[in-house]
Amino acid sequence: MNITVDISDLKVSNNPDVTLVTYSLGSCIGLAVWDPEVRVGGMLHYMLPDSSIAQEKAKANPAMFADTGIPALFKACYKLGAQKQRMIVKVAGGAQLMDESGFFNIGKRNYAALRKMFWRNKVMVAAEDVGGMVNRTIRLNIGTGELNMKVSGKGEGLL
Amino acid sequence: MDIESILKDLEQLPPFPTVVAQALALLDSPDSSAMDVVQVVQYDQAITANVLKVCNSAYFGLPGKVSSLREAVIRLGNKQLKEIILTGTVVKYYKNAMEGYALSKHDLWKHAISTAIISRIISKRFPGVDEGAVFTAGLLHDVGKTILDAVVDEYFNQMFALVGEKGYSFTEAEQEVLGLDHAEIGARMGELWGFPKEIVHAIRFHHAPPEGDESDLVTQVVYLANVICLMLGIGVGRQGLHVRGRDEILEQHGMDINDLQVIMAGFLDEYQKVQDIIDLG
Repeated sequence: MNITVDISDLKVSNNPDVTLVTYSLGSCIGLAVWDPEVRVGGMLHYMLPDSSIAQEKAKANPAMFADTGIPALFKACYKLGAQKQRMIVKVAGGAQLMDESGFFNIGKRNYAALRKMFWRNKVMVAAEDVGGMVNRTIRLNIGTGELNMKVSGKGEGLL
Repeated sequence: MDIESILKDLEQLPPFPTVVAQALALLDSPDSSAMDVVQVVQYDQAITANVLKVCNSAYFGLPGKVSSLREAVIRLGNKQLKEIILTGTVVKYYKNAMEGYALSKHDLWKHAISTAIISRIISKRFPGVDEGAVFTAGLLHDVGKTILDAVVDEYFNQMFALVGEKGYSFTEAEQEVLGLDHAEIGARMGELWGFPKEIVHAIRFHHAPPEGDESDLVTQVVYLANVICLMLGIGVGRQGLHVRGRDEILEQHGMDINDLQVIMAGFLDEYQKVQDIIDLG
Protein backbone atom coordinates (compact mmCIF):
# COMPACT_ATOMS: atom_id res chain seq x y z
CA MET A 1 0.00 0.00 0.00
CA ASN A 2 1.41 3.38 -1.06
CA ILE A 3 1.18 6.35 1.27
CA THR A 4 2.07 9.67 -0.34
CA VAL A 5 4.20 12.24 1.42
CA ASP A 6 3.27 15.64 -0.04
CA ILE A 7 5.38 18.79 -0.24
CA SER A 8 6.02 19.97 3.34
CA ASP A 9 4.77 16.75 4.82
CA LEU A 10 6.07 13.81 6.83
CA LYS A 11 4.77 10.30 7.40
CA VAL A 12 5.95 7.42 9.58
CA SER A 13 4.87 3.79 9.69
CA ASN A 14 5.58 0.42 11.25
CA ASN A 15 3.35 -1.49 8.84
CA PRO A 16 5.55 -3.79 6.69
CA ASP A 17 3.03 -3.61 3.82
CA VAL A 18 3.37 0.16 3.51
CA THR A 19 5.54 2.02 1.02
CA LEU A 20 6.07 5.70 1.72
CA VAL A 21 6.50 7.68 -1.49
CA THR A 22 7.31 11.28 -2.22
CA TYR A 23 7.12 12.49 -5.80
CA SER A 24 9.12 15.00 -7.72
CA LEU A 25 11.71 16.48 -5.40
CA GLY A 26 13.13 19.55 -7.13
CA SER A 27 15.08 21.79 -4.79
CA CYS A 28 13.19 20.21 -1.88
CA ILE A 29 14.83 17.41 0.11
CA GLY A 30 13.42 13.97 0.72
CA LEU A 31 14.75 12.37 3.89
CA ALA A 32 14.09 8.68 4.51
CA VAL A 33 14.90 6.96 7.83
CA TRP A 34 14.47 3.32 8.82
CA ASP A 35 15.19 1.26 11.94
CA PRO A 36 15.89 -2.36 10.91
CA GLU A 37 15.38 -3.73 14.42
CA VAL A 38 11.77 -2.64 14.84
CA ARG A 39 11.08 -2.00 11.13
CA VAL A 40 9.92 1.51 11.68
CA GLY A 41 10.45 4.02 8.92
CA GLY A 42 9.61 7.58 8.06
CA MET A 43 9.87 10.10 5.28
CA LEU A 44 10.03 13.90 5.23
CA HIS A 45 9.66 16.16 2.19
CA TYR A 46 10.79 19.59 3.30
CA MET A 47 10.77 22.69 1.17
CA LEU A 48 13.03 25.24 2.86
CA PRO A 49 16.07 25.28 5.15
CA ASP A 50 15.17 27.61 7.95
CA SER A 51 11.90 28.35 9.75
CA SER A 52 13.00 31.82 10.84
CA ILE A 53 11.53 33.24 7.61
CA ALA A 54 8.00 32.22 8.61
CA GLN A 55 7.70 31.08 12.21
CA GLU A 56 3.92 31.01 12.27
CA LYS A 57 3.91 28.71 9.27
CA ALA A 58 6.51 26.47 10.91
CA LYS A 59 4.29 26.10 13.97
CA ALA A 60 1.36 25.06 11.84
CA ASN A 61 3.46 22.87 9.58
CA PRO A 62 6.91 21.92 10.91
CA ALA A 63 7.55 19.66 7.90
CA MET A 64 7.96 22.75 5.70
CA PHE A 65 11.48 23.48 7.00
CA ALA A 66 14.64 21.47 7.70
CA ASP A 67 15.18 22.86 11.19
CA THR A 68 11.68 21.98 12.39
CA GLY A 69 10.91 19.02 10.09
CA ILE A 70 13.96 16.86 10.74
CA PRO A 71 13.48 16.69 14.54
CA ALA A 72 9.76 16.09 14.01
CA LEU A 73 10.52 13.13 11.74
CA PHE A 74 12.93 11.53 14.22
CA LYS A 75 10.57 12.09 17.16
CA ALA A 76 7.66 10.53 15.28
CA CYS A 77 9.83 7.45 14.64
CA TYR A 78 10.91 7.24 18.31
CA LYS A 79 7.26 7.12 19.27
CA LEU A 80 6.97 3.92 17.26
CA GLY A 81 9.99 2.42 19.03
CA ALA A 82 12.83 3.42 16.72
CA GLN A 83 16.21 4.41 18.21
CA LYS A 84 18.55 7.02 16.80
CA GLN A 85 21.71 4.92 16.82
CA ARG A 86 20.02 2.16 14.78
CA MET A 87 18.44 4.39 12.15
CA ILE A 88 19.57 4.14 8.55
CA VAL A 89 19.37 7.61 7.04
CA LYS A 90 19.16 8.40 3.30
CA VAL A 91 18.83 11.72 1.51
CA ALA A 92 17.68 12.73 -1.99
CA GLY A 93 16.83 15.98 -3.77
CA GLY A 94 18.25 19.47 -3.37
CA ALA A 95 18.47 20.03 -7.13
CA GLN A 96 19.17 23.42 -8.64
CA LEU A 97 18.53 25.53 -11.71
CA MET A 98 21.30 26.41 -14.19
CA ASP A 99 22.57 29.30 -12.18
CA GLU A 100 26.27 29.73 -11.49
CA SER A 101 25.99 32.57 -9.04
CA GLY A 102 23.63 30.62 -6.77
CA PHE A 103 20.96 33.35 -6.67
CA PHE A 104 18.29 30.68 -6.94
CA ASN A 105 20.08 27.90 -5.11
CA ILE A 106 17.63 26.90 -2.42
CA GLY A 107 18.51 23.24 -3.04
CA LYS A 108 22.03 23.77 -1.81
CA ARG A 109 20.81 25.60 1.29
CA ASN A 110 18.34 22.84 2.00
CA TYR A 111 21.16 20.30 1.94
CA ALA A 112 23.53 22.45 4.02
CA ALA A 113 20.87 22.85 6.71
CA LEU A 114 20.47 19.07 6.96
CA ARG A 115 24.22 18.44 7.06
CA LYS A 116 24.69 20.98 9.85
CA MET A 117 21.96 19.39 11.94
CA PHE A 118 23.27 15.88 11.41
CA TRP A 119 26.81 16.90 12.27
CA ARG A 120 25.65 18.49 15.52
CA ASN A 121 23.54 15.50 16.43
CA LYS A 122 26.03 12.86 15.27
CA VAL A 123 23.76 11.35 12.65
CA MET A 124 25.46 9.47 9.82
CA VAL A 125 24.08 9.43 6.29
CA ALA A 126 24.14 5.93 4.78
CA ALA A 127 23.38 7.00 1.20
CA GLU A 128 22.51 10.16 -0.66
CA ASP A 129 21.81 11.49 -4.12
CA VAL A 130 21.65 15.27 -4.07
CA GLY A 131 22.17 18.30 -6.29
CA GLY A 132 22.32 18.38 -10.06
CA MET A 133 19.37 19.51 -12.17
CA VAL A 134 17.28 16.37 -11.96
CA ASN A 135 13.91 15.61 -10.54
CA ARG A 136 13.72 12.67 -8.11
CA THR A 137 10.97 10.45 -6.71
CA ILE A 138 11.74 8.16 -3.75
CA ARG A 139 9.91 5.15 -2.28
CA LEU A 140 10.67 3.63 1.12
CA ASN A 141 9.53 0.06 1.72
CA ILE A 142 8.75 -0.17 5.44
CA GLY A 143 9.00 -3.98 5.43
CA THR A 144 12.50 -4.18 3.93
CA GLY A 145 13.93 -0.68 4.38
CA GLU A 146 14.77 -0.52 0.67
CA LEU A 147 14.76 2.96 -0.79
CA ASN A 148 13.98 3.08 -4.48
CA MET A 149 14.81 6.27 -6.36
CA LYS A 150 13.55 7.30 -9.78
CA VAL A 151 15.36 10.12 -11.56
CA SER A 152 13.60 11.96 -14.38
CA GLY A 153 15.03 10.96 -17.75
CA LYS A 154 17.56 8.56 -16.18
CA GLY A 155 15.71 5.52 -14.84
CA GLU A 156 15.52 4.08 -11.34
CA GLY A 157 17.36 1.95 -8.80
CA LEU A 158 18.04 1.41 -5.10
CA LEU A 159 19.73 4.15 -3.12
CA MET B 1 14.00 18.50 -37.87
CA ASP B 2 11.16 19.61 -40.03
CA ILE B 3 9.44 22.53 -38.32
CA GLU B 4 6.83 22.44 -41.04
CA SER B 5 5.15 19.39 -39.53
CA ILE B 6 4.88 21.07 -36.12
CA LEU B 7 3.43 24.17 -37.72
CA LYS B 8 0.98 21.93 -39.59
CA ASP B 9 -0.19 20.66 -36.21
CA LEU B 10 -0.78 24.28 -35.28
CA GLU B 11 -3.11 24.65 -38.25
CA GLN B 12 -5.21 21.85 -36.76
CA LEU B 13 -5.52 23.79 -33.52
CA PRO B 14 -9.12 23.88 -32.39
CA PRO B 15 -10.34 27.46 -32.15
CA PHE B 16 -10.38 28.99 -28.70
CA PRO B 17 -14.00 28.76 -27.60
CA THR B 18 -15.86 31.71 -29.10
CA VAL B 19 -18.08 31.78 -26.07
CA VAL B 20 -15.11 32.39 -23.78
CA ALA B 21 -13.63 35.04 -26.05
CA GLN B 22 -16.99 36.83 -26.09
CA ALA B 23 -17.42 36.54 -22.34
CA LEU B 24 -13.95 37.92 -21.70
CA ALA B 25 -14.54 40.82 -24.09
CA LEU B 26 -17.77 41.63 -22.24
CA LEU B 27 -16.00 41.51 -18.89
CA ASP B 28 -13.50 44.03 -20.26
CA SER B 29 -16.15 46.34 -21.63
CA PRO B 30 -17.42 49.09 -19.35
CA ASP B 31 -20.83 49.09 -21.06
CA SER B 32 -21.75 45.49 -20.40
CA SER B 33 -23.63 44.13 -17.42
CA ALA B 34 -23.17 40.92 -15.48
CA MET B 35 -26.26 39.55 -17.15
CA ASP B 36 -24.71 40.03 -20.60
CA VAL B 37 -22.00 37.64 -19.52
CA VAL B 38 -24.55 35.10 -18.30
CA GLN B 39 -26.36 35.35 -21.64
CA VAL B 40 -23.21 34.38 -23.50
CA VAL B 41 -21.91 31.60 -21.27
CA GLN B 42 -25.10 29.89 -20.13
CA TYR B 43 -25.53 27.84 -23.31
CA ASP B 44 -22.20 26.14 -22.88
CA GLN B 45 -22.71 23.44 -20.29
CA ALA B 46 -19.08 22.43 -19.92
CA ILE B 47 -17.96 25.98 -19.25
CA THR B 48 -20.85 26.61 -16.89
CA ALA B 49 -20.08 23.46 -14.91
CA ASN B 50 -16.40 24.31 -14.68
CA VAL B 51 -17.09 27.91 -13.70
CA LEU B 52 -19.29 26.72 -10.85
CA LYS B 53 -16.71 24.14 -9.72
CA VAL B 54 -13.94 26.72 -9.70
CA CYS B 55 -16.21 29.24 -7.93
CA ASN B 56 -16.89 26.74 -5.19
CA SER B 57 -13.27 25.73 -4.75
CA ALA B 58 -11.55 26.62 -1.50
CA TYR B 59 -9.20 28.86 -3.47
CA PHE B 60 -11.85 31.32 -4.63
CA GLY B 61 -13.54 30.61 -1.35
CA LEU B 62 -16.97 32.24 -1.53
CA PRO B 63 -19.01 31.77 1.61
CA GLY B 64 -21.83 29.33 0.92
CA LYS B 65 -22.30 27.37 -2.26
CA VAL B 66 -22.76 29.09 -5.59
CA SER B 67 -25.37 27.13 -7.48
CA SER B 68 -26.04 29.17 -10.60
CA LEU B 69 -24.06 31.12 -13.12
CA ARG B 70 -26.22 34.14 -12.49
CA GLU B 71 -25.37 34.09 -8.82
CA ALA B 72 -21.66 33.66 -9.60
CA VAL B 73 -21.72 36.68 -11.88
CA ILE B 74 -23.52 38.81 -9.33
CA ARG B 75 -21.29 37.81 -6.43
CA LEU B 76 -17.93 38.06 -8.12
CA GLY B 77 -16.05 41.04 -9.43
CA ASN B 78 -15.16 41.17 -13.11
CA LYS B 79 -11.52 40.41 -12.45
CA GLN B 80 -12.22 37.28 -10.47
CA LEU B 81 -14.89 36.11 -12.85
CA LYS B 82 -12.48 36.47 -15.73
CA GLU B 83 -9.92 34.32 -13.97
CA ILE B 84 -12.51 31.71 -13.15
CA ILE B 85 -13.86 31.53 -16.69
CA LEU B 86 -10.35 31.23 -18.08
CA THR B 87 -9.37 28.62 -15.52
CA GLY B 88 -12.48 26.58 -16.26
CA THR B 89 -11.82 26.82 -19.98
CA VAL B 90 -8.13 26.19 -20.47
CA VAL B 91 -8.14 23.06 -18.34
CA LYS B 92 -9.27 21.04 -21.33
CA TYR B 93 -6.05 21.85 -23.20
CA TYR B 94 -4.01 20.41 -20.37
CA LYS B 95 -5.90 17.22 -19.71
CA ASN B 96 -3.74 14.60 -21.35
CA ALA B 97 -0.64 12.88 -20.06
CA MET B 98 2.46 13.74 -22.07
CA GLU B 99 4.95 11.06 -22.99
CA GLY B 100 7.52 13.43 -24.46
CA TYR B 101 7.83 15.62 -21.41
CA ALA B 102 7.15 12.66 -19.08
CA LEU B 103 4.26 14.41 -17.41
CA SER B 104 1.46 12.27 -16.12
CA LYS B 105 -2.20 13.22 -16.27
CA HIS B 106 -2.85 16.33 -14.13
CA ASP B 107 0.84 17.28 -14.03
CA LEU B 108 0.83 20.09 -16.58
CA TRP B 109 -2.50 21.36 -15.28
CA LYS B 110 -1.11 21.39 -11.75
CA HIS B 111 1.92 23.25 -13.03
CA ALA B 112 -0.22 25.79 -14.91
CA ILE B 113 -2.53 26.60 -12.01
CA SER B 114 0.40 26.72 -9.56
CA THR B 115 2.37 29.07 -11.79
CA ALA B 116 -0.70 31.30 -12.08
CA ILE B 117 -1.08 31.45 -8.30
CA ILE B 118 2.63 32.04 -7.67
CA SER B 119 2.51 34.76 -10.35
CA ARG B 120 -0.23 36.47 -8.43
CA ILE B 121 1.75 36.25 -5.17
CA ILE B 122 4.85 37.71 -6.87
CA SER B 123 2.88 40.47 -8.58
CA LYS B 124 2.26 42.04 -5.15
CA ARG B 125 5.98 42.92 -5.20
CA PHE B 126 5.81 44.45 -8.67
CA PRO B 127 3.87 47.67 -8.30
CA GLY B 128 1.89 48.59 -11.39
CA VAL B 129 1.74 45.13 -12.91
CA ASP B 130 -1.66 43.98 -14.17
CA GLU B 131 -2.61 41.12 -11.83
CA GLY B 132 -5.18 39.69 -14.18
CA ALA B 133 -2.71 39.52 -17.06
CA VAL B 134 -0.16 37.91 -14.77
CA PHE B 135 -2.59 35.19 -13.69
CA THR B 136 -3.66 34.49 -17.28
CA ALA B 137 -0.09 34.37 -18.59
CA GLY B 138 0.88 32.07 -15.72
CA LEU B 139 -1.97 29.76 -16.59
CA LEU B 140 -1.04 29.62 -20.26
CA HIS B 141 2.75 29.87 -20.33
CA ASP B 142 3.34 26.18 -21.13
CA VAL B 143 0.41 25.63 -23.48
CA GLY B 144 2.91 25.04 -26.31
CA LYS B 145 3.99 21.81 -24.66
CA THR B 146 0.66 20.28 -25.63
CA ILE B 147 1.61 20.60 -29.32
CA LEU B 148 5.33 19.93 -29.05
CA ASP B 149 4.99 16.84 -26.87
CA ALA B 150 4.79 14.32 -29.71
CA VAL B 151 8.00 15.50 -31.38
CA VAL B 152 9.86 15.85 -28.08
CA ASP B 153 9.28 12.16 -27.54
CA GLU B 154 10.67 11.33 -30.96
CA TYR B 155 13.82 13.46 -30.62
CA PHE B 156 14.32 13.11 -26.89
CA ASN B 157 17.66 11.30 -26.97
CA GLN B 158 19.15 13.91 -29.27
CA MET B 159 17.86 16.69 -27.03
CA PHE B 160 18.97 15.03 -23.84
CA ALA B 161 22.51 14.63 -25.18
CA LEU B 162 22.71 18.42 -25.57
CA VAL B 163 21.21 19.00 -22.14
CA GLY B 164 23.36 16.42 -20.37
CA GLU B 165 26.69 16.86 -22.12
CA LYS B 166 26.75 20.31 -23.65
CA GLY B 167 25.14 22.37 -20.92
CA TYR B 168 22.05 23.37 -22.90
CA SER B 169 18.89 24.32 -21.11
CA PHE B 170 15.87 22.24 -22.10
CA THR B 171 14.37 25.04 -24.21
CA GLU B 172 17.72 25.66 -25.91
CA ALA B 173 17.80 21.96 -26.82
CA GLU B 174 14.25 22.26 -28.20
CA GLN B 175 15.37 25.19 -30.37
CA GLU B 176 18.50 23.39 -31.57
CA VAL B 177 16.91 20.02 -32.35
CA LEU B 178 13.32 20.94 -33.23
CA GLY B 179 13.88 24.41 -34.64
CA LEU B 180 11.69 26.15 -32.09
CA ASP B 181 10.77 25.74 -28.44
CA HIS B 182 7.54 25.24 -26.52
CA ALA B 183 7.45 28.92 -25.58
CA GLU B 184 7.44 30.02 -29.24
CA ILE B 185 4.77 27.45 -30.16
CA GLY B 186 2.66 28.57 -27.21
CA ALA B 187 2.95 32.20 -28.29
CA ARG B 188 1.81 31.30 -31.81
CA MET B 189 -1.17 29.44 -30.34
CA GLY B 190 -1.99 32.58 -28.37
CA GLU B 191 -1.78 34.65 -31.56
CA LEU B 192 -4.10 32.25 -33.39
CA TRP B 193 -6.53 32.48 -30.48
CA GLY B 194 -6.40 36.26 -30.51
CA PHE B 195 -4.94 36.71 -27.02
CA PRO B 196 -3.81 40.16 -25.93
CA LYS B 197 -0.27 41.12 -26.98
CA GLU B 198 1.21 41.18 -23.48
CA ILE B 199 -0.02 37.63 -22.76
CA VAL B 200 1.47 36.37 -26.03
CA HIS B 201 4.73 38.16 -25.20
CA ALA B 202 4.88 36.62 -21.72
CA ILE B 203 4.29 33.13 -23.13
CA ARG B 204 6.97 33.66 -25.80
CA PHE B 205 9.65 34.86 -23.39
CA HIS B 206 8.80 33.04 -20.20
CA HIS B 207 12.20 31.32 -20.18
CA ALA B 208 14.20 34.32 -21.34
CA PRO B 209 12.68 37.70 -20.54
CA PRO B 210 14.38 40.25 -22.83
CA GLU B 211 17.20 41.93 -20.93
CA GLY B 212 16.91 45.51 -19.89
CA ASP B 213 13.23 45.54 -20.68
CA GLU B 214 11.89 46.69 -17.36
CA SER B 215 8.55 47.64 -18.78
CA ASP B 216 7.81 44.01 -19.34
CA LEU B 217 6.76 43.14 -15.84
CA VAL B 218 4.25 40.43 -16.73
CA THR B 219 6.94 38.37 -18.47
CA GLN B 220 9.34 38.75 -15.55
CA VAL B 221 6.73 37.72 -13.01
CA VAL B 222 5.76 34.64 -15.02
CA TYR B 223 9.42 33.73 -15.50
CA LEU B 224 10.01 33.82 -11.74
CA ALA B 225 6.79 31.97 -10.95
CA ASN B 226 7.67 29.25 -13.43
CA VAL B 227 11.15 28.63 -12.01
CA ILE B 228 9.79 28.61 -8.45
CA CYS B 229 7.17 26.09 -9.52
CA LEU B 230 9.86 23.89 -11.09
CA MET B 231 12.05 24.14 -7.99
CA LEU B 232 9.06 22.94 -6.00
CA GLY B 233 8.87 19.94 -8.31
CA ILE B 234 5.39 20.72 -9.63
CA GLY B 235 4.96 19.50 -13.20
CA VAL B 236 8.67 19.08 -13.91
CA GLY B 237 8.94 15.81 -15.81
CA ARG B 238 11.95 15.14 -18.02
CA GLN B 239 12.79 18.81 -18.37
CA GLY B 240 14.16 18.61 -14.84
CA LEU B 241 15.63 21.87 -13.61
CA HIS B 242 17.55 22.44 -16.84
CA VAL B 243 16.30 26.00 -16.88
CA ARG B 244 18.45 29.12 -16.66
CA GLY B 245 18.39 31.18 -13.48
CA ARG B 246 18.22 34.83 -14.55
CA ASP B 247 19.85 36.63 -11.66
CA GLU B 248 19.38 40.05 -13.23
CA ILE B 249 15.62 39.84 -12.75
CA LEU B 250 15.99 39.39 -9.01
CA GLU B 251 18.61 42.15 -8.88
CA GLN B 252 16.47 44.54 -10.89
CA HIS B 253 13.68 44.25 -8.36
CA GLY B 254 15.84 44.18 -5.25
CA MET B 255 14.96 40.57 -4.49
CA ASP B 256 17.17 37.77 -3.23
CA ILE B 257 17.03 34.11 -2.26
CA ASN B 258 15.19 34.94 0.98
CA ASP B 259 12.39 36.60 -0.96
CA LEU B 260 12.08 33.45 -3.05
CA GLN B 261 11.71 31.42 0.14
CA VAL B 262 9.01 33.71 1.52
CA ILE B 263 7.11 33.41 -1.78
CA MET B 264 7.39 29.61 -1.66
CA ALA B 265 6.15 29.43 1.92
CA GLY B 266 3.22 31.72 1.06
CA PHE B 267 2.32 29.63 -1.96
CA LEU B 268 1.96 26.44 0.01
CA ASP B 269 -1.12 27.69 1.88
CA GLU B 270 -2.75 28.55 -1.42
CA TYR B 271 -1.70 25.24 -2.93
CA GLN B 272 -3.69 23.31 -0.33
CA LYS B 273 -6.76 25.25 -1.47
CA VAL B 274 -6.55 24.45 -5.16
CA GLN B 275 -6.73 20.68 -4.93
CA ASP B 276 -10.33 20.66 -6.14
CA ILE B 277 -9.40 22.85 -9.11
CA ILE B 278 -6.56 20.47 -9.90
CA ASP B 279 -9.07 17.63 -9.93
CA LEU B 280 -10.73 19.27 -12.94
CA GLY B 281 -7.67 18.24 -14.98
